[in-house]
Amino acid sequence: MQLLVNIVVLAAIYALIACGYVLIYRASRVLNLAHGELMMLGAYLLLTTASLHAGHPLLAIAAALALAAMAGAFVYLALMRKMTGEAVLAAVLTTVALGILLRGVIVMLWSAQQQYPLQHLGFANPPIALPGGARISSAMAVLVATTAAVYLGLFAFLRLTRWGIRLRAAGQNPLLAAQRGIGLHGAYALAWGLSTFTGGVAGMLIAIDAGLDQTMVMIGLKAFPAALVGGLDSLAGALLGALVIAASEVLLIHYVDPLLADVVPFLVLIVMLAIRPWGLLGTREQLDRV
Amino acid sequence: MTHPASILRSRLLGALAFAAAATAAAPALAQDAYVIGVSGAMTGPAAATYAPAVDGLRIYLDGVNARGGINGRQVRLVIHDNQGEASRGAADAKKLLTQDNVLILLNASLSATYAPMVAEAKRAGVPVLFASAVCPKEVYPPADPLQFCTTAFAANHDSRATLSFVKQQSKEPVRLGLAAMAIPISRAEIDFAENLSKQMEMTPVDKAVIPPPTADYTPFATKLRDANPNWVYSWAPWVTQVRTLEGLRRLGWNGRYIAWAHLNAEDELARLKDGDFYVIGANAFFQDELPVHKEIRDAVAKAGSQYPPTQMAEGWIAGMVIEQILKQAGWPTNPQKVAAAMSDLKVDTKGLRGGPIEWTKDNHFRTRQYYRVYRWDPSASAIRLVQDWQAVDVK
Repeated sequence: MQLLVNIVVLAAIYALIACGYVLIYRASRVLNLAHGELMMLGAYLLLTTASLHAGHPLLAIAAALALAAMAGAFVYLALMRKMTGEAVLAAVLTTVALGILLRGVIVMLWSAQQQYPLQHLGFANPPIALPGGARISSAMAVLVATTAAVYLGLFAFLRLTRWGIRLRAAGQNPLLAAQRGIGLHGAYALAWGLSTFTGGVAGMLIAIDAGLDQTMVMIGLKAFPAALVGGLDSLAGALLGALVIAASEVLLIHYVDPLLADVVPFLVLIVMLAIRPWGLLGTREQLDRV
Repeated sequence: MTHPASILRSRLLGALAFAAAATAAAPALAQDAYVIGVSGAMTGPAAATYAPAVDGLRIYLDGVNARGGINGRQVRLVIHDNQGEASRGAADAKKLLTQDNVLILLNASLSATYAPMVAEAKRAGVPVLFASAVCPKEVYPPADPLQFCTTAFAANHDSRATLSFVKQQSKEPVRLGLAAMAIPISRAEIDFAENLSKQMEMTPVDKAVIPPPTADYTPFATKLRDANPNWVYSWAPWVTQVRTLEGLRRLGWNGRYIAWAHLNAEDELARLKDGDFYVIGANAFFQDELPVHKEIRDAVAKAGSQYPPTQMAEGWIAGMVIEQILKQAGWPTNPQKVAAAMSDLKVDTKGLRGGPIEWTKDNHFRTRQYYRVYRWDPSASAIRLVQDWQAVDVK
């Protein structure tokens, strides 16, 4: 039972991070390689708002979430907007540069020291006993629930709301969408905002559970195979990809060798690229275009 | 009226003369100070381990300069950020050795940066000092002539001291779990500890080698817990040590856990408040309130730093050692004189360590290593010293 809980938790972490990659790629065909850094920025923003609003944790969390979303929109409007229409590789390299910049800025503002937002929020993180003798930390239980809520919310948003449909249209055929009066820059900014919002949520919850330092960037990168395995333009695929990779990782750690944990996501990715390069639920024609 | 062309010519000649004078002056200015080069992981995933130490060194040397320097000369610290990457370490070393003409090249970074930096330093004949970076085996007897180390932790010696402590503390047979980070130095040390534990009649029940970084340590902790250890020993960067502990506690494991006391151990013991979590280390905790601790606190408050004073001991000790080296090397000096001074050195650490740091021609680590063990005492709501300085001869 504990193994099942471990799989669900790890899958939820990867899925919550991976949906950020998918949102931006689906809308604009740009691979945001600064997603790990933006996720980390969200966590550091929580650290700051929690310090500023000591005694008001919910306000601190709400402020951090709003700032995380605004950061994404700002990144698009200030930087990525200029890459619209340029070669995709140029846009991707821009995100790499952005990531490097963010890492330096974060250290300058917050230092490289290990930080604990939980202490500032005043919450505790006790373990919760589950059936079968399994246990889960409170923060991870919230993360699992949040991942489910985020995905349900995104599915509903993309299918049922005007802006969600616009976002999908911009992703499917930007030229036609523009001709139909859909503001592409607005759609892309929204995608970036949603991406950093969901990434920020992941970063904040991971930081609440385990502390915050510069290694969080690498966790963002480890979730990338989940998006690729599932299909880079499919949210459902990201969820499924996260589950596949998490299950592989947890089971191999337990039954084979813990060292394989680092390698497994990429092994699964290689296998997937060999047999189904567009991912489990990705769109084949999209891959041809790439 | 002067012709415009001649005005331009004279201005150009003046500018060239100025540039020539400035260029000629620059090396002279640089040579007026002792120049120490640092290549450290100031940013990046490993920065939490190294950046506070480099800042401590900077603050120490700023204090030395404020008091008039060494032998009447200022000490100039040139710091580069290698982010823990080998290629950056190599580039830093080249620049520091060829352009800044450093007398000592200091490494405060991951072991991936060692080989390229040491190679460059050897080509230039400049000594390398490892401070806050794990001591390579080349500093142990018989030591490499150009490699030295002030860092507290010491492969093999640490595990011997730790397992001796565990054996001494245990009334029942020890079922030992082990946790390492998947980096060569940590794995090698935990492998050594595993073999040593068998010789000491303990039973190693499981070994978790955890890749950095990891989103969730619970799967690794689950495997460890299922092996039912009564002690777990971890020798790894702090993040692996503490998150493995937290994972085990989350799963309801109530055994005793012992880990290396990195820079942030004192603050972390107070945060975790876990009465069965022991840390073993070579640096005295600031709760001892020694005069040198007050000195560090005052200096950090005056200089301003992003890091708390409690994480500055490694950098401070490196500063004390560098000061002594340069005093002995005299002025004018060169890397050869500095290396000679380093090969015959004794530095009083004023209580920051259990004893002096002594280097000889064959031993560039220290002739004696001292260990203390601390834990959190829930009944007193304070950190308690469990074992006072135990000396180990380094042969």
